[in-house]
Amino acid sequence: MKMSNRRNLALLGIVAVMLASTLAFLYLKSNSNETSTYAESRDLIGRIKQLNAQWETEILKARIATNHNYDPLVTPLTGMAELWERFDTLESNHGRNDSPIWRASHDAYLTAIQEKTRLVEQFKSHNAVLRNSLAFLPTAEDDIHEQLARLVDGDKLQLQNIATDTYDLLLSSLEFAQVTSDDRAADILVGLNKLGVNKLRLPEQFHSPIDILSNHISLILREQPVVNRLLENIEAVPVAERLDEITSLLNTDQQQTDAIEQRYHFYMLVFSVLLVLLLVYLAIHLMRSFTTISRVNKALKTANDELELRVEERTRELKDTQSELLDTARQAGMAEIATNVLHNVGNVLNSVNISADLVSRKLRASKAQGLGKAMQLINEHPGDLGTFLTQDDKGKLLPGYLNQLVEAIALEQQSMTDELAQLSKSVDHIKDIVATQQSYAGANSLMEPLHISELLEDALRMNAGALTRHHVTVVKEYGEVPQVMGDKHRLLLILINLISNAKYAMSDLSNRPRQMTLGVKIVDNETLQVSVKDDGEGIAAENMTRIFAHGFTTRKEGHGFGLHSCALAAIEMNGHLTAHSDGPGKGAQFTLQIPLKPVTEVA
Amino acid sequence: MSPSIHHLLLVPLFGFCLSASAAPLDEPLKPLPPVPQQNPLRVELGRQLFNEPRLSVNNTLSCASCHRLDKGGADTQAFSIGFNGVPVTINTPSVFNATLNFRQFWNGRADTLETQIHAVVQSPSEMGSDWEYVVQTLSADPAYHSAFGKAYPDGVTMNNVQNALATYERTLLSSNSRFDQYLLGDTDILTLEEKYGYQRFKDYGCIACHQGVNIGGNMFQKFGVMGDYFKVRGNPTDTDLGRYLVTKDEEDRNVFKVPSLRNVAVTAPYFHDGSAKTLEEAVDVMFRFQLGRVPSIEDKTLIIQFLKTLTGEWGGKPL
Repeated sequence: MKMSNRRNLALLGIVAVMLASTLAFLYLKSNSNETSTYAESRDLIGRIKQLNAQWETEILKARIATNHNYDPLVTPLTGMAELWERFDTLESNHGRNDSPIWRASHDAYLTAIQEKTRLVEQFKSHNAVLRNSLAFLPTAEDDIHEQLARLVDGDKLQLQNIATDTYDLLLSSLEFAQVTSDDRAADILVGLNKLGVNKLRLPEQFHSPIDILSNHISLILREQPVVNRLLENIEAVPVAERLDEITSLLNTDQQQTDAIEQRYHFYMLVFSVLLVLLLVYLAIHLMRSFTTISRVNKALKTANDELELRVEERTRELKDTQSELLDTARQAGMAEIATNVLHNVGNVLNSVNISADLVSRKLRASKAQGLGKAMQLINEHPGDLGTFLTQDDKGKLLPGYLNQLVEAIALEQQSMTDELAQLSKSVDHIKDIVATQQSYAGANSLMEPLHISELLEDALRMNAGALTRHHVTVVKEYGEVPQVMGDKHRLLLILINLISNAKYAMSDLSNRPRQMTLGVKIVDNETLQVSVKDDGEGIAAENMTRIFAHGFTTRKEGHGFGLHSCALAAIEMNGHLTAHSDGPGKGAQFTLQIPLKPVTEVA
Repeated sequence: MSPSIHHLLLVPLFGFCLSASAAPLDEPLKPLPPVPQQNPLRVELGRQLFNEPRLSVNNTLSCASCHRLDKGGADTQAFSIGFNGVPVTINTPSVFNATLNFRQFWNGRADTLETQIHAVVQSPSEMGSDWEYVVQTLSADPAYHSAFGKAYPDGVTMNNVQNALATYERTLLSSNSRFDQYLLGDTDILTLEEKYGYQRFKDYGCIACHQGVNIGGNMFQKFGVMGDYFKVRGNPTDTDLGRYLVTKDEEDRNVFKVPSLRNVAVTAPYFHDGSAKTLEEAVDVMFRFQLGRVPSIEDKTLIIQFLKTLTGEWGGKPL
């Protein structure tokens, strides 16, 4: 029963754990944090795209400005690198780098951004010098013009032509910067050649400014196509496209995850419905169980009541039995008293018998018969009595004989009187014993004033024969005790029993005098204590607890009621009876303690 | 446009600037940002490591041996001496404001300060050590062991040593230069000559490359746009190839990172080869080979005067 219970409990636990883990599994599956990662990833990619666009704007601005700060062309890249690193960590934490498609798109982006960075770096270098030269061109041309204007001597027309050529070259170069074409490049080359020729026509001080101008124009001719090509290439680098690819990959993944999540949501819904049904079923079941339990409870209660009734009945029967037993014990106690009385009466009767025998024997051997013979002699000599008494030999002896006979008869009479006095005394003793017995027999719990010492004497007297026969010396240690109110019958029962027990305990004692000590004293002014002490066989420790039990005895002929009834009697008097022994062979002391009720209190 | 016209135009412009009280100026040059908020434990650890000779294989060189904070963040030699007593092949750039450079090293081969540190410690001509050895040495030192334990959850590692150094270097900003104060709106701080110098700096096109917050350090440029510098100088070396060494792209031959002009007055000698001993020489080279122009003596002097306003402070004192 217990085993199957435990197994059921374990089974229930396993089922509960399984259900809970299924629910948890479905919940986790339908609520993965993938979504938040996707949101963050998409956000990161979006921001990278923004920075990329910002970067491109800055590149276009750098293309037209002269005094430009190139920091804005650096910072977006730093930002993009940081964002990418975060994105990469985020994604690799999800193990997405394992997927070849992801790997490819990542690599494609990195390649693109690397290429774009390289191109932008080149663009910055080339654009800086190009913008610088373009900005400088008008000043450089101005320098030449100023000097030309200051030139006073020489061919005015030629100077004018040189000035026009230089100006044309300047314009062509500026146009070239706007619309770069091979035609214009050819124009510029022609212009540069003309400038070279013109330089030779001009004085020495023109050589340096013209060289500077032609150097810068050459630079523009060289750098402008490079810058244009770089810009085209930069535009062609598909960074944004790669980012879009990654976004679409993210979206695809997100959709897949969404679909899976939805599926698991559905599963969870179904599972939840099943669980609810199960719960409803269990609730119904539970309610039914409750009904059953209350029914069973009611039945149990009825059964219990019945049982209680039966127990009560049995208890009553037991009580009856106990009181019967108590009666028996009392009767047994009375029987004991009767035995004692009869025993004592028997003892006294023995004395009576002896006395009677003695008297009868004395009578049989009485000297009175000699008187008869003397009278016969006298009767044979009626006439001559005087003669006979004086003459006859026989007659002469007769008066002496008679005197002697008188003396003997007087002695006989005296002894017989004595013996008869003893006899009557014994009869009186018997009367006494019987009277004492009569005074106790049948007496109920009757409180009467009594002297405890007298009661002890009575008890001793009832045991006197046996005590004398067993040569027991009684030592009396009576304290000052007033007349008390007590149950004479119960006290005497206890005392007789205790004295009798003490006597029996010492019956096997041969090596030392048998001594019994009776004690009476008042303890704490409220308890009367009577003790009976012997130096007999003592009580074994293991018997100490059983000694007052009903039916316990160590004597062959004992019935085990004595001490039990004594203890009961003591309790009936609101007192108690205790035993003490130092062990086998060391004697025992029984102590009766009852509440002290002096007579004055009652009066 | 003649210089006199420039002057006429500039006078009312400056007047406007003066009246505009302390509003920051919108210029192609930008003031230094404030020092970023960083873990002070890591900064202090980085400072110790910066002065730690045990980073080099024979305990002779620390970062501070070549990047002397009292010498503008570099040393005064064309080529610093490596751990083995042999000079390195390139001029030591200043550590001040290095965090603001878009790449590290003259040829920009390092994207971050950490990468730069990684390379220098292992460089066979600079510190000649290796990271395993460095980490081992530092781990064995109880002071470092506990300092790293407090600053980093994983204690002494290569990444943490590099991060501590980079963290410290991010605090090495030479703030409060007179020009920065000018940019922040205190236009009275510059003399008229210095303001003219700045104007010339822009007019001649120096600003084409030296601009932004670090006044350079944000782009690559060919050394010798308007003439072959190396041919004129002679004795071409490997390091003269510049970025070509990194990319192997013909396009990048003799291309270098444009250096920052901050503290330029106190960081002679100049250029990757340390060939210009004075600021005048350097300005001359720039005009000839980069700008392809011939400045007047007066303009050059003005520009140099302007350049001297770019010297910032460190530890409350001018560099």
